This record gives sequence, C-alpha cells and structure tokens, in this order.
Amino acid sequence: MAKTPAREPTVEVHDLEPREFLEQVHSFEFWFQSVEGYLAGTRYGHRPETREEPLAAPERERLVTVLCNYCLGETAALEGASGLVAIAPNRLSKVFLSTQVVDEGRHLEVLLHRLADLGVADPEAEIERRSSASLREFKRRLLGLVASKDWEAALFAQNVILEAMEFTVFQTHQRSADPVTAEVLGGIVKDERRHIGFGENELGRRLRESPHRRARIGEVKRDLDSLVLETFEETVREIGIPAVERPELGRSYLAAVARLGFP
Amino acid sequence: MTDDAPLRAAVGPDEGRPRQRFLLEDGDFDEVPPKYRRFYRHWKGAGDELGPNEVLCPVCKVVIRSTRELRAGDRLYCMACMTRLRVRAGELGRLEADCEY
Repeated sequence: MAKTPAREPTVEVHDLEPREFLEQVHSFEFWFQSVEGYLAGTRYGHRPETREEPLAAPERERLVTVLCNYCLGETAALEGASGLVAIAPNRLSKVFLSTQVVDEGRHLEVLLHRLADLGVADPEAEIERRSSASLREFKRRLLGLVASKDWEAALFAQNVILEAMEFTVFQTHQRSADPVTAEVLGGIVKDERRHIGFGENELGRRLRESPHRRARIGEVKRDLDSLVLETFEETVREIGIPAVERPELGRSYLAAVARLGFP
Repeated sequence: MTDDAPLRAAVGPDEGRPRQRFLLEDGDFDEVPPKYRRFYRHWKGAGDELGPNEVLCPVCKVVIRSTRELRAGDRLYCMACMTRLRVRAGELGRLEADCEY
C-alpha cells in the first residue's frame, strides 16, 4: 500500500464526470480489459498448474451437491440476465447486461466443468436430482418477473437478491474450498462485484427518479425473502459453515437492501 | 460548485490545511482496466488500516484510493462495482463512503 506523500499530482480517476464514468464502466471495452486481468492464462476458471487435492468421499459428495446448486443459480442468472437485456430501459444498460450474460455463461461452463473434474458423468441429471427446491422456486419466480417485463422488480430479484447471495456464498466457500474450486470461485466473485453494483446503482437511480416504484420492490422483497434465507441456509449447511457464523452471511444482502431504503 | 464536484471545499477542522498528495503504485488489484488498477486494492479484513487517501466501498468491500488525502464531501468512484460514492466522516472519525445513485 503506497502512502508516501508526493509532490506531483497524477491523473485522478475520481475526476471523471459521472456520465463519462457510467459510459466507461458499462462498456464492453471496460469489461474486456477488466476480465483480462484475472482470466488471462486460466483454463476453465483456474490456472492450469493448480494441483487437484484429493477429496474424501463424503467431502466430494457435499461439494458435488453444492456445485449443482451453484449451477442452478448460475442458470437462473444466465436466463434472467438474457431476458433483462430485452426489457432494459436504455442502451447503456443493455450493453452492460450483455457483458453480464457472457459472465453468467462462463460461470455455468466452469462450474459444469468442475463437476466433470469431480467425476460427475451427467451433470444435467445430477443438477436435477440434487438442487434445492427453494432455489428452483426462486428461479421460477425470477423468470416470471422477467417475462412480465417488470424491469425494477426483475432487476431487484436478479442483481440485488440473487447476485448478493452468490457473492456472499462464493466468497465464504472460497476460503475453505480445495485449491481448484477456490480459484474458480475467486474468478466468479470478481465478476459478481460488477453485477451487484449494477443492480444496486440502477435500482437506486430508478427509485430516486420514481419513488412510487418503491412499494412494488417492497412487495417483491417480502415475497422472495423467505426463499432467499432458506437457500442461504441450505447452501451454507452443505459447505460446512458453523451455525454461529451463518447469520453473518445474510449481511451483504441485508446491507444492500437497507442502502436502497428497505428495512 | 456543483453536487458533482469531485473535491468540495473541506469543512471542519481540516479547512485551510493543504491536502497531502500520494503516489499510487499498482498492487494486486486486477479487476479493472490496467490504467485504473492503482486506484484500488483488496481489503484484508478487520485489521487492515486505511490510509488518509483510502476508503472502503460499502457495496463490494474493495479499498478505493486517491492521489489526494480524502475529506468529507469528496466524490469517489468504485470501478470494481461501478458505484459513485460520497465521503463522510464516520463514527470514531474514520472516513466512510455513501452511495450516490
């Protein structure tokens, strides 16, 4: 960390005009240069030289179940983000969401590949068999909001709720996962920062401009809260997070909705 | 000066005192284009002390850095999560940042 006082000022990113900042960060150009930083040289989300650590049978079983749920979550995010492109209210948002679609497709691919690494012969069937009922229900409701072209509600469900949940769970799991899984999750977390930020900021702007939309978001939150918490609970149990640490995990989601003005 | 002014006139005890300047070097942050990387670093957790030119992004928990000493009222951008922020004095005198949508 450089904290040495210097005499000469340098170019300051924080001097960008807000419009210029938004145009830059929502662009494919920005996305290309960002992901290049952490994905260059990786293969299916991890460095080729990262060594596979042998897992005991029960540990492998738990990991396969967790990865099946991640695959379901990423499929929801991929289908949700794809649908959001069509209903986004402006071109800047459409361009950003198209980068998110690419991210979500990559996440699904690397997680499916990880399942194959672990010896899962038919990942599709395994996801069907092992995935959580509450997450399947969440996906159904999310895609329903997208299909009904309810932009704010769908964005809230996708980029605030689902992305905050993934961001928190993946970060937590990364700390205790085997080296290959940890690298795969680390790369996904870096993408998720953009997704949660887009959701919160876009929604924040919409609610500032049209406060009457707040009631609708509150309704969606009430509708989905129990599913979110159930999904959190099931996943962290499989990862093996001690019960005492579990309440901390919902904090990211709760903090995001609190910043948007929802208790 | 408008609401979007990047560096507002300082208020309070710092008023009139020139701001320190900082040379930023690239660290381990690889989530934004190369020309912007030195403005960010990963937060190392509760024991990670922030410098006078640093503040924690409340959305994505990345440390945002400036070439200038920060003061309440300054505008910052977190490029990692695409958030515009406004610096304020938090509890215990530490600088914190709020989202500006």
